[in-house]
Amino acid sequence: MTSTVDPISLPQAASNDTEIDREALASLLVEIARNVDPDYRARFDGVPTADPRMETLRQLLVGREISELSRVTHLLDEPEQLASAVGGVLPSAAARAPYAQLGEALAPAVERAVQRSIQKSPRTLTDILYPVFLPAIRKSIGEKIDQTFQSLNETLRHIFTWHGLKWRFEAWRTGASFSEVVLKHSLVYRVEHVFLINRNSGLLIAHVTADNATSEDPQLISSMLSAIQDFVKDSFNEKEQSGLDTIRFGELRLWSEVGPFATLVAVIRGNPPEELHEIIRDVLLRIHDECSQALEQFDGDSSQLAGVETQLQTCVELKQEDSNQGFPWLVVAAVLLVLIPAGGWFFLSWQSGQRWQAYVSRLSTQPGIIVAEQKMRDGQFYIAGLRDPLAADPQSLLSGTQVDPARVHSHWQFYQSLEPEFVLKRLTASLGPLDSVRLSIVNDRIIAEGEAPDTWIDRARAAARQLSAGGPVFDISKVRDVSPEARAAERWQAYVSRLSTQPGIIVAEQKVRDGQFYIAGLRDPLAADPQSLLSGTQVDPARVHSQWQFYQSLEPEFVLKRLTESLTPPKSVRLSIVNDRIIAEGEAPDTWIDRARAAARQLSAGGPEFDISKVRDVSPEARAAEHWQHYVSRLEAQAGIIVAQQTARGGHFYISGLRDPQAADPQALLSGTGVDPARVHSQWQFYQSLDPKFVVKRLMASLAPPDSVRFSIIKDRIVLVGEAPAAWIDRARVAAQQLAADGLSLEISELRELTPQELTRLREAIQAVDIFFDSGKAVPGPEQLPVLDKLANQLKELAKDARKAGVTAQFMLTGHSDAVGRETTNASISAARAETVRALLKKRGVAPESLLVRGAGTFEPAETENSRTGSSANRRVSVTVNFH
Amino acid sequence: MQKKICMLGGFAVGKTSLVRRFVQSIFSETYLTTVGVKIDKKSVAFPDKTVDLILWDLAGEDDIGSFRVSYVRGASGLVLVVDGTRAATLAVALTLRERAEAEFGAMPFVLLFNKSDLADRWAISDSEINELRQLGWQIYLTSALSGEHVDDAFRQLASMVTK
Repeated sequence: MTSTVDPISLPQAASNDTEIDREALASLLVEIARNVDPDYRARFDGVPTADPRMETLRQLLVGREISELSRVTHLLDEPEQLASAVGGVLPSAAARAPYAQLGEALAPAVERAVQRSIQKSPRTLTDILYPVFLPAIRKSIGEKIDQTFQSLNETLRHIFTWHGLKWRFEAWRTGASFSEVVLKHSLVYRVEHVFLINRNSGLLIAHVTADNATSEDPQLISSMLSAIQDFVKDSFNEKEQSGLDTIRFGELRLWSEVGPFATLVAVIRGNPPEELHEIIRDVLLRIHDECSQALEQFDGDSSQLAGVETQLQTCVELKQEDSNQGFPWLVVAAVLLVLIPAGGWFFLSWQSGQRWQAYVSRLSTQPGIIVAEQKMRDGQFYIAGLRDPLAADPQSLLSGTQVDPARVHSHWQFYQSLEPEFVLKRLTASLGPLDSVRLSIVNDRIIAEGEAPDTWIDRARAAARQLSAGGPVFDISKVRDVSPEARAAERWQAYVSRLSTQPGIIVAEQKVRDGQFYIAGLRDPLAADPQSLLSGTQVDPARVHSQWQFYQSLEPEFVLKRLTESLTPPKSVRLSIVNDRIIAEGEAPDTWIDRARAAARQLSAGGPEFDISKVRDVSPEARAAEHWQHYVSRLEAQAGIIVAQQTARGGHFYISGLRDPQAADPQALLSGTGVDPARVHSQWQFYQSLDPKFVVKRLMASLAPPDSVRFSIIKDRIVLVGEAPAAWIDRARVAAQQLAADGLSLEISELRELTPQELTRLREAIQAVDIFFDSGKAVPGPEQLPVLDKLANQLKELAKDARKAGVTAQFMLTGHSDAVGRETTNASISAARAETVRALLKKRGVAPESLLVRGAGTFEPAETENSRTGSSANRRVSVTVNFH
Repeated sequence: MQKKICMLGGFAVGKTSLVRRFVQSIFSETYLTTVGVKIDKKSVAFPDKTVDLILWDLAGEDDIGSFRVSYVRGASGLVLVVDGTRAATLAVALTLRERAEAEFGAMPFVLLFNKSDLADRWAISDSEINELRQLGWQIYLTSALSGEHVDDAFRQLASMVTK
């Protein structure tokens, strides 16, 4: 057996190193294996015990353990070393120990240690526990305070109510405190859901719901709740272990209690008492107590935790509902029976005092009332003070207080309160309310806002000035002056109402916009002109926009107007309006009545009634009168008839006037006119008509013209045309002269003289004869005698012939002189010469009545002469013949 | 049996749309933007039991810093969602998982490559996916549009978390 390994060196190497010397071990094992050869084994029966290699092997295999063992033995033997060694492992040992056993084992020691620590120095432990207890204490105190406030709140709310009285009695009866009873009744709530949620994963462990309560999937809700808890915690860096404590949503509250492994969330409807927190917490604690392990190890399988539901159920059963339990009426009645008589009097006097005090305090709080003094004596109440007339009436305030007014003796003096409220009231009363102005009190200032006319603003300004002494400020700066528009609008309204009252005008619509006026409606053409009505209203016509549609008004007035125009009633008919009826009165012919009746029928549809019953039919007389008028006008048209007067009276006709006898007979003219001659009374006076026709008639009668003469009338002139004897023509001439005086002209210039041949010839012969005289002589010379003789014979013959012809011949002897000598002498000598000749002719047998004389002087000379020598031809007597 | 499952994934990878058709939900999606989490429930029935997966759909954030890791507390498993058309979202999902596991220890998960219907814009190579499969990961190509493999993924995860 050979070994390359130094056995002594092995343990040394091993002891120096915690690791086994693998190389040495390996070579040793190879060596052993070589030696465990079957041959080797056959030669040696077993391995010799004293083999040094075995020692080396032992050193190699357990050398370290041996040294460790010796170290441990040493360690155990030395208490100090042991203590330090155990101290090194104790924490992990404790951590690995089963909780229950460790807890049990440690509990007494810990208790004692704590006890000892507290005895020694309580402060240490207090300091240690402070962070732990503080949140819990804080929370607990918070809840307690909440609870107290809640209780106080509810107590106060119900203390003076009927419920309060009832509950006070209940407190007395049950021995509980009043606030407890109040809470019991007023906090009506119901726990609808309870969720037990794994704190780690947010998974739902258990969920219990009250009857009739519904919710969505509780698994999702519980997860979301814990998500929200995480969210809040993360969002606000909240380190505290407790989660969201309360979530409130309207009637619904979520109260959560956080335990080490699970969170309990109660969903409560209504108004829960703060105590409920404690109840919930208790339930959670109980659950943790009972199933601590199962809760901790919860991995989503809640079958291990079936028991917790019964615990949760106790939460869900929590509720407080208004109970209607039977009230102990009998007991109350008995107590009342005893109490009433005894307490009655005290109560009444106390109550009246209370009421009085309530009344007085009510008065004192009234603005505008200052109570100066008040007292009660012998059941009578006395009060004195000041009051604003606008303040509430103290007497009326009595009503409802149940203080007997008869026992109240008040003595009030009026004063004006300067409280803005009253000033406002007075202002409102004095300024007159205006819808467009709003008065309000802002910081003890009275502020008027809105729109008002300047008159109002002036009054308000005056009031503000008055107030300035001591009173509140009255600010009217925010009132806009709307006078111009308002006045324009007022005028417009006045105009509109004026229009509206106008008959025949119907205002359908009117408005004012942007200072423009719009009006529309109906108007009767007979109604007043809206435009003209504008004048005097001060409304600017340019701003008025009218739109009128014509219509026929059925107002009686207008119907009357139209009837008057269309019917043209005779003067004897009067139309009038009586009670909206149009009444026609008087007399009218039947034709008019017929037309009126037709108009009345047309009107009957909607229009006013047209009553024509009072019109008398006067047709017969009217027709007779018409006939009469016809006759009269016929008479008037007649030439030679002048109607001076005519009347119809009582069915009789009277006429008077002038008529030419040549004119037509009025009586005869009656025939055919339809006028009854028996009813005609005429009175005619004759006169000569100057009508040419009548003049001609009269001339025909008086002149008896020969057939050869024709009368004609040419434009008021009577012209005679034809041939007539000279004598007739002379008569006609006379007539013409007479007529000329009457302004009529009778022209005879067209008449030719009708004379027999011999007469003409003889006349010409006679007229050619002159008797000459010597100068200055009035008697012809002897040489002229034969001329005279011949002349005398001719004259006598002519006179005889003329008589035969039916005419009378006249001979004019005209004496002439020459121009020598004085004119007067010449004139008289010419006349003397004519007289001489007449006498000489008379002497010779000529009828003196046919001889006429005249002296022409020098005026009709036969020849122009030299006035110095004179002319013998001019000293003569000439003869002219005229037939009549 | 119920299990809390967190769905993690980057912004707009389609977590919410992915599960919308497969879960019971009473909360609106506004919770995601307000509280940062929306809770749905997916029941998976096995022959011997029914597992209610309470899915915490965490608001997707590409900014890993704002990830509310506290929401993962108590979770039994994870659903990691990746947008298959955006390679970067894979890194986001894996980072989120690392954050969660660093805080609360290892837990089973499934990895969903979503939007598998958008083949033309697919950005993850098959070799990459196979490499991940080699690690023993449960990987599903899903589509919110067709619902493809979504149920399988939940079933798989349910069996993993109840083992």
